[in-house]
Amino acid sequence: MNKTFIIIKREYLTRVRKKTFIISTLLFPLLYVGLIFGMGYLAENSKQVLNIALVDQSGYFGQAVLDEENTIDPSSKLSLISEKAADVFRDPESAGFDGFIRIPALDWQRGNDSMWLESKKSYGSGTTAAVQAKLNRIWSRIKNDSLSIDESKQAILQGSQLSIRPRNLEDDTANANLAEVIGYIAGLLIYMILLIYGSQVMMGVMEEKTNRIAEVLVSSVRPFQMMMGKILGIGLVALTQFLLWIGFVFLIYNITMATGNGLGSASAMVGAMQNVITGINVPLILFCFGFYFLGGFFFYSSLYAAIGSAVNEDLREAQSLSFPITMLVIISIALMTTAIANPTGPIAVWASLIPFSSPIVMMARIPYGVPGTVPWWQLGLSMLLLILGFLATVWFAAKIYRTGILMYGKKPSWGEMLKWVFRKS
Amino acid sequence: MQELLRVEHLKKYFANQKAVDDISFEVAPGQIFGLLGPNGAGKTTLIRMITGIFYPDSGTITFQGKPFDPIHDVRHIGYMPEERGLYKKMKIGEHALYLAQLKGLPRPEAMKQVKHWFERLEMQSWWNKKVEDLSKGMSQKLQFVSAVLHEPKLIILDEPFSGLDPVNSNLIKDEIHRLAKNGSIILFSTHRMEQVEEICEHIILVNKGKKILDGTVGDVKQQYKQNNFRIGISPLTEDQIAQAPFDLIRASTQDQIVRIHEGKSTNEVLRFLLDHSISVRSFEELLPSLNEVFIRLVGDSPTARQFQSAP
Repeated sequence: MNKTFIIIKREYLTRVRKKTFIISTLLFPLLYVGLIFGMGYLAENSKQVLNIALVDQSGYFGQAVLDEENTIDPSSKLSLISEKAADVFRDPESAGFDGFIRIPALDWQRGNDSMWLESKKSYGSGTTAAVQAKLNRIWSRIKNDSLSIDESKQAILQGSQLSIRPRNLEDDTANANLAEVIGYIAGLLIYMILLIYGSQVMMGVMEEKTNRIAEVLVSSVRPFQMMMGKILGIGLVALTQFLLWIGFVFLIYNITMATGNGLGSASAMVGAMQNVITGINVPLILFCFGFYFLGGFFFYSSLYAAIGSAVNEDLREAQSLSFPITMLVIISIALMTTAIANPTGPIAVWASLIPFSSPIVMMARIPYGVPGTVPWWQLGLSMLLLILGFLATVWFAAKIYRTGILMYGKKPSWGEMLKWVFRKS
Repeated sequence: MQELLRVEHLKKYFANQKAVDDISFEVAPGQIFGLLGPNGAGKTTLIRMITGIFYPDSGTITFQGKPFDPIHDVRHIGYMPEERGLYKKMKIGEHALYLAQLKGLPRPEAMKQVKHWFERLEMQSWWNKKVEDLSKGMSQKLQFVSAVLHEPKLIILDEPFSGLDPVNSNLIKDEIHRLAKNGSIILFSTHRMEQVEEICEHIILVNKGKKILDGTVGDVKQQYKQNNFRIGISPLTEDQIAQAPFDLIRASTQDQIVRIHEGKSTNEVLRFLLDHSISVRSFEELLPSLNEVFIRLVGDSPTARQFQSAP
């Protein structure tokens, strides 16, 4: 045990001290900060004031109302034109407009006409939606005036609204929309960990074999200790990186909260995040994330270690031999999308019980609520099966590793590797 | 003297070959023991069983008077395999410390030993260098230090001199002798016969998984001598050669190398020379080199040719 610890320490320290680790660990929070502030900044500053000409054939629109609305919502400027309309139609830009809208002869009682915002450049749906909303507000005023609805009645009409939100009877904190987002993120994070750190384990084992240090080591420690030291060491590196990231996010969250007032949309985002965090069962999700992260990592990385031990220095050999395992991880992601669409369906249930896919699929289901969507027995069984699963793969991998690590020459087939597993020691 | 290592009827069969087939030998403390044999003879498999890497299919290994326990006895074994390497990105000092700790030395003790050995082999200035910056000879020295710094009772060195210059070779050779004098066994595996003659006291030869020779270097040479002599005489005539109680193997103007006929004694040879009035300047028995013994024993197989081509 003590020797395994020495190996873990080396594996951990050499990786954590590497420049690539420090860079990738720092880069993530920087990107995160950049994303929050950058998006806020862009949202504040990239607003374009569209100057739009209205050519009104209905006769309802008046410049006074437009001016009033232009001051309330300065994101676009609407102006009525009556003369030189032909010039605007031909070339709006030389006439000083970004685009124009032809308003046909409308009837105020049924104004369901579809119009074009015509321009030389293309504008996104967000921009058109803003213009449409503004136009509709003006249209409402015109209707209100026609129906003689005064301001107090208008306030009633606008103020009273009914809304519907989903609520899970079993779990107060479950929220379907939010669950979908969190499920996706959690599943994808585990997917990334399995692939990135799993292949790191494989490369690490290959390095020892290529360096010819493997035989020096196995004369001091058991091959099993070597393998577990590597897996645990790299697992700790992954864990460290995640904890650092969570720490960074938490820190930034608090900083923006403290200085939030002046930052406009950035603090609005943080506020939204706060709502998210209070809206779900955070301790359960974090616990399960930790569990499935470790379980899935042990399950897959021991298989990757076995492959690393079996191949020689050729990276292509490793890739072709590890393909079936990588496929399992990718299939899990495909199953996850099905599970998110229907978190209580048979595919979701089975895939979250079977160890090879449970780390990803169960993590995507849990945010929908325990025990509402995922009954306790399913969660328990899934965890038990994952523990049994990784014990089995570790055992299996240790057998291959023991033989493979000292074997040079031809790349073994999966059949030969299975023989190594089942022959007597 | 009580033997430190005893190997009895050791067998290890792989799927399609008998890698080690019933090998027994024993080694006393302080002995430098040569384990010889062509590639594929089973040396590495034998060594891996003695170091606890492989379990034997049958047979026993007794170490320090007790059955060999791979988990605990590795502390007392130092192994420098033929296929050896180091972590390229590690610093040399840290690397030596790491390997010492894996052998079971607590860190302070490991530190003390590493410093001691680095000083002995004049490696102190390398401490913070990275392994990838070392020359082949330098990393060889580091590997040697790593194999011996935990003061093992049994030191197994597989081709320890490959890639070393003569100065460093001698340095390591002196260390090997010193370690043996302090009571460690040195199990020395190599193809280089001149090194075996120089260093080893006792040898075994392994071929195709079987032990085919076991004895001290002197005994082996006596056992396999072929009655060859170098006689300091002028070249003989055809007539003389036909009558002589020996065959001429190699002739030169200075001396003749001959093989005395079966059943004839050296005195009969001398009498023949005196009778023919040939003046003898010298008369010397030629013992076979280990290289010659091995080629004879291993036979003219592809593996034997590998010996012949060895320098």
